[in-house]
Amino acid sequence: MKTNHLEQSNIATSESILVDSENNYHKINTQGTSIDIQDVSVSFRTSKGISTVIKKINLQIAKGEIVAIIGHSGCGKSTLMNTISGMVTPTQGRVIVNNKIVVGPSPDRGIVFQNYSLLPWLSVYQNIYEAVDAVMKDKRKKEKKAIVEENLEAVGLIPHRSKLPKELSGGMKQRVAIARAFAINPSILLLDEPFGALDALTKSSMHVELLKLWNLDNRNKTIVMVTHDIEEAIFLADRIVVMNDGPSATIKEIVDIPLQRPRNKKDIVHEPLYAEIHDRLLSLLIKKFSIKDME
Amino acid sequence: MKQIFQIKNTFSLLYFLMSALLLVGIWKVISILTEGEIPSPAATWLIFQEMLSDPFYDYGPNDKGIGLQLWNSVKRVFIGFSLGSLIAIPLGMLMGSNKLAMRLFNPLVQVFRPVSPLAWFPLGLLAFKNAEGATIFIITITSLWSTLINTAFGVSSIPQEYKNVSTAFGFSKWKYIVKIMIPYALPHIITGLRLSIGVAWMVIVAGEMLSGGIGIGFFVWDSWNALSLEKILIAILIIGIVGLLLDKFFNLIQKLTVYEN
Repeated sequence: MKTNHLEQSNIATSESILVDSENNYHKINTQGTSIDIQDVSVSFRTSKGISTVIKKINLQIAKGEIVAIIGHSGCGKSTLMNTISGMVTPTQGRVIVNNKIVVGPSPDRGIVFQNYSLLPWLSVYQNIYEAVDAVMKDKRKKEKKAIVEENLEAVGLIPHRSKLPKELSGGMKQRVAIARAFAINPSILLLDEPFGALDALTKSSMHVELLKLWNLDNRNKTIVMVTHDIEEAIFLADRIVVMNDGPSATIKEIVDIPLQRPRNKKDIVHEPLYAEIHDRLLSLLIKKFSIKDME
Repeated sequence: MKQIFQIKNTFSLLYFLMSALLLVGIWKVISILTEGEIPSPAATWLIFQEMLSDPFYDYGPNDKGIGLQLWNSVKRVFIGFSLGSLIAIPLGMLMGSNKLAMRLFNPLVQVFRPVSPLAWFPLGLLAFKNAEGATIFIITITSLWSTLINTAFGVSSIPQEYKNVSTAFGFSKWKYIVKIMIPYALPHIITGLRLSIGVAWMVIVAGEMLSGGIGIGFFVWDSWNALSLEKILIAILIIGIVGLLLDKFFNLIQKLTVYEN
């Protein structure tokens, strides 16, 4: 499985340059900027006038990087991410993805939604197949089926392929959603609080699964995730973007996570660097640590 | 488990028998009170047996068996209902997904929906030059409204969540209709169809009284002219039972199409 992936990407690199389809160009060049957010503000018209959600955000994300956006509820984390996906159009500024200005959603950016968003009338297999079918129009049916099988296997859902979403646990639903996003082979993966609804144990194993999929693809995919879980952000990300509270939210600070990969969930917590980063994030996000601080 | 199921079945059978008994009791009392003007259950039962002995006889245009009458009514309802649904479902989907279509068609629907379908009968006669066409025409009109409104409602209430899936993965218009719009709206559409067929079955009786010829409605009117109240009572029961069966049928389909999130 793993070797197979490596071979595929080698072929892609050797043939290089000429190949420029939306789905595999990132294999040619893993250097450079993947996402460039330039001066982005988003405002909505409400009954009380215009409300600005995020204001003058600048952020560059490199190819193959994992970036976590963290902040309090309602600070505009999701809005910021939706400007990357194209679901939200910036009122000011622009987002450049792979050297193109974002004008709307594109399968080049896979999205894993907060509430899984599986179609309840389709089986696990069909949920992934329809996405693959919509994105890879030129491929033959046999190839599309193989892609679905491969991704189902990567998340260990082959035995559950004919089940409907309602028959799955929360963790399994999220696996399907992640497999669906990976199956269309986007260069960028956007995850909106993907593990928020899962229990702590399932969450931990999902983190490892996500990194496994990222590794299988030679760490070529850029991953941006919104979260409010500090431990999750440290374990997964290369950089953590801490947001100010809204309205008119801005970036408070960007924290680098220079912890070595592959990271081990059990060992990582004992590293002094981990504790240092954890503390830094806590003090950025939380002002009051005990009831004494409240006086 | 199986045993519990059987006990439950036995009870519902018992209740059914009790309600049948209640009906016969009230009927009997009314028959006695009207001094036989309303025929008694026993007298009606005799005529019913006679009618059932040869339900499909055909002795010319004004004398046909109850089976033939019923079959013709069901056929008309089926044709009119199918035509109405074929118009209502696509139009409802258009109205539910497009604001302009909703604004254009909704006022028309609101105005014509409360009109008794029988009011359309003369227009049907004018258009088709025969009673058969006119009857099917009014059933078609009848079958439009509930299906149209329910389909439009179902389609317009597709959650943003599913629309986002469609945009995020670049679904084509066709894929969106087939994989998201129709599956999501299907329970609503079936509800609309179920209501439509109920009204259509009610309207066919009145329609056939106007059109004459053949059909269960005509049979009721013809029996009144022949002063055979037994036949009218039998026809009422049969109309009720067929209506119930149609409803049960759509209820079954409805249960099959409901999905859970």
